[in-house]
Amino acid sequence: MDRRLGLLALTVAVAAGLGALALSSTGSPTPRGLMLADAPALALLIGWSFAGAGVVASVLRPHNRFGLLLYGTGLMWFTSALMASDSPLVFSLGLLTAPWWLGTFFHALHIFPGGRLDGTWPRRLVVLLYVDVTVVQALRLLFTSSADLPGCADCPRNVLLVSDQPHVADAILVVQQAGVGSLVIGGTLLVLARRWRAATAPQRRVLAPVLATGAVCLAVQAVSLAAQPASVRQSVGWVGALTFAAVPVSFLLGLLRQRLDRAAVGQLVVDLGEGREGDPLDALLRTALKDPSLQVAYWRPETQEYLDGDGRPFPMPARDEARAVTRVEREGRRIAALVHDPSLAEDATLISGAVAAAGLALENERLHAEVRAQLQELQASRLRLVEAGDRERRRFERDLHDGAQQRILAVLLLLNQLVRRADTDATARELAAEAKAELGRSLAELRELAAGLHPAVLTDHGLAVALEGVAARTPIPLELDVDLPRRVPQRVEVAAYYVICEALANAVKHAAASGVTVHVCERWDGDDSTMEVHVVDDGVGGLDAGPCASSGSGLQGLRDRVAALGGTLEVISPAGEGTRVRAVIPCG
Amino acid sequence: MRVAIADDSVLLREGVARLLAEAGFEVVATYGDAESLLVDLETRSVDVCVLDIKMPPTFTDEGLRAAAAIRARWPQVGVLVLSQYVELGLAVRLLADGVEGLGYLLKDRVAEVEEFVDAVRRVAEGGSALDPTVVSQMLSRRQADEDLGRLTPREHLVLEAMAQGLANRAIADRLHVSVRAVEKHVTNIFDKLGLVVGAHGDRRVLAVLRFLRR
Repeated sequence: MDRRLGLLALTVAVAAGLGALALSSTGSPTPRGLMLADAPALALLIGWSFAGAGVVASVLRPHNRFGLLLYGTGLMWFTSALMASDSPLVFSLGLLTAPWWLGTFFHALHIFPGGRLDGTWPRRLVVLLYVDVTVVQALRLLFTSSADLPGCADCPRNVLLVSDQPHVADAILVVQQAGVGSLVIGGTLLVLARRWRAATAPQRRVLAPVLATGAVCLAVQAVSLAAQPASVRQSVGWVGALTFAAVPVSFLLGLLRQRLDRAAVGQLVVDLGEGREGDPLDALLRTALKDPSLQVAYWRPETQEYLDGDGRPFPMPARDEARAVTRVEREGRRIAALVHDPSLAEDATLISGAVAAAGLALENERLHAEVRAQLQELQASRLRLVEAGDRERRRFERDLHDGAQQRILAVLLLLNQLVRRADTDATARELAAEAKAELGRSLAELRELAAGLHPAVLTDHGLAVALEGVAARTPIPLELDVDLPRRVPQRVEVAAYYVICEALANAVKHAAASGVTVHVCERWDGDDSTMEVHVVDDGVGGLDAGPCASSGSGLQGLRDRVAALGGTLEVISPAGEGTRVRAVIPCG
Repeated sequence: MRVAIADDSVLLREGVARLLAEAGFEVVATYGDAESLLVDLETRSVDVCVLDIKMPPTFTDEGLRAAAAIRARWPQVGVLVLSQYVELGLAVRLLADGVEGLGYLLKDRVAEVEEFVDAVRRVAEGGSALDPTVVSQMLSRRQADEDLGRLTPREHLVLEAMAQGLANRAIADRLHVSVRAVEKHVTNIFDKLGLVVGAHGDRRVLAVLRFLRR
């Protein structure tokens, strides 16, 4: 509905109200129980507030039928004034249409705020009520003489009357009001209660005012249906009418809230402009859109996937999940998606306002997320490289063991046989012995080579056993303290082993240390554990282990290896004060 | 003397079997893995088992575990463990329950036939055989030790040989001296290191190893 049409609708509503007022106040004072006659101000307030709220709602959300239903309720509210007419035809039309507003009112309650009837029960209840206020009402009027109507002693003739059957009419009235009426009211209360329970926080914020007044109103209606004495019925009716008048007001309250929400988007612009570092963008958007469940996913065109702020893959909600996704584009490119409560999608301008305000920041964050993702991939590939290298070396080492070394040993044994058999030929014995010695040296060299490729004892028996050998081969006194109740992952063992070997080599070769201590332990923090390695010597210190180091360049290579495992390697080596090497490697 | 051999390499298994057969051992059976050896020991009478450390299925420490199992169940059976590499840490674990009837040698030693055969025989008789590499690792760890520093070079050699499990006769052969001379060296060594002189054989080895690992 555009504004001009809205203005026209408003004019019509005002005219209808004034016309109804004029109609009901002409002629002799009527005891026909017309609210327009008894309390014209309240009656006008109710009608106009419904019509007015309906027009506003239609302008704000043109595609939502809610506004139209509110407007209809307001207009039809005035039709009961027709009963004040002395013309039998007009009077009868008033009789017929008097309860119609109830149908649209309940319909509106059921579809608020989404605009659709969701579920079987709401649909059944609304259809039932429409039938009740139109068909059943008409049916009742076929058998009701106007003289039988309460306070209608001087009413004009009911033109719909076919046969004056007061008992039939009363029976239909019982069905229409006590039966169907209370069923619809009770059912609607139940439906609203269930919707409230199922609603998310942002949905509740929208539902609260309307459902509250609507529910009170219905409760009052229910009581007034049950109350027997006419006086009680009337006073309850008054309360009901007052609450009823508040329903559209409560809806306007909802609209006002939305205005406030828009103001929060304005605040978002300010916050973003101030570049508040501490608050991540998703937190700002959560505040601005008042949806604590909101998540921001950043688009990565390279891999065609969404990332979270840390650059990890973001799983988009499945279709059946009760989440809405709003794609964010900038200059025609997809940059992000907001995953939020479906109720936010109701107000497209709110979310698009927030997105427009945060566009540049979203693009920035997207780039950050992309870089973080690349860093993670780099880290992972670095780890894979280290592991692949280790795997290869281990394979070579094993091949040497199982292949060449075993064969040479077997040949040595054969040579022994040969020496034994050739005991008559001194030259042959000499040659064989020479060959034996040569092969023995090859074997020793191969063993050295294999050990240099990969410390097999590490794979086979773990760090603790391997370090005892290292300690024994270290030519300076070494205090070894290994506290490892379990085997840690191979790559961690290998890294720790190399760090220790390199630190010991430095202590012996460069630091001229006279003693060194090695301490290895695994530390637990919840389910995560890290391996800590300390090597402390009493040498000359001054070890340069920086990126351009010469003496500590072996340690620099190890720094890379440790970093590839997500760990850290520290070398503290003040001149004259010894060297402390500390490595912390996550075992995860 | 009855010997059983377990090694997953056929070449070596057969080579060692032939070598020991020629040296006068009765090779009862050879096996490709530790498990089948353990099963057979239930019914076979054997004096000594020669085991490779790395065997199927995991090729890590099957031999070590089999050695522990044999020593627990058949303490009278000697166990000689062969390894592609020798590590002090492994020796320490292997020797934790005593050194009687136990040997731990680098696999390459099988090529030094006489010494190897001697080691197998020693282990079969309840003695011990420790690889020279391990002994020298132990000694090097105690390099700064004052007591060791007081030993003469010759006494050093005798100590090493003792730690390897050699008897006086064998030490005398190796160093080309008389048994009496060796006995004298041994007394000196025990005095200098402050060790109580064990009668002979494995107790002596144990005392020396305990000292070296101190």
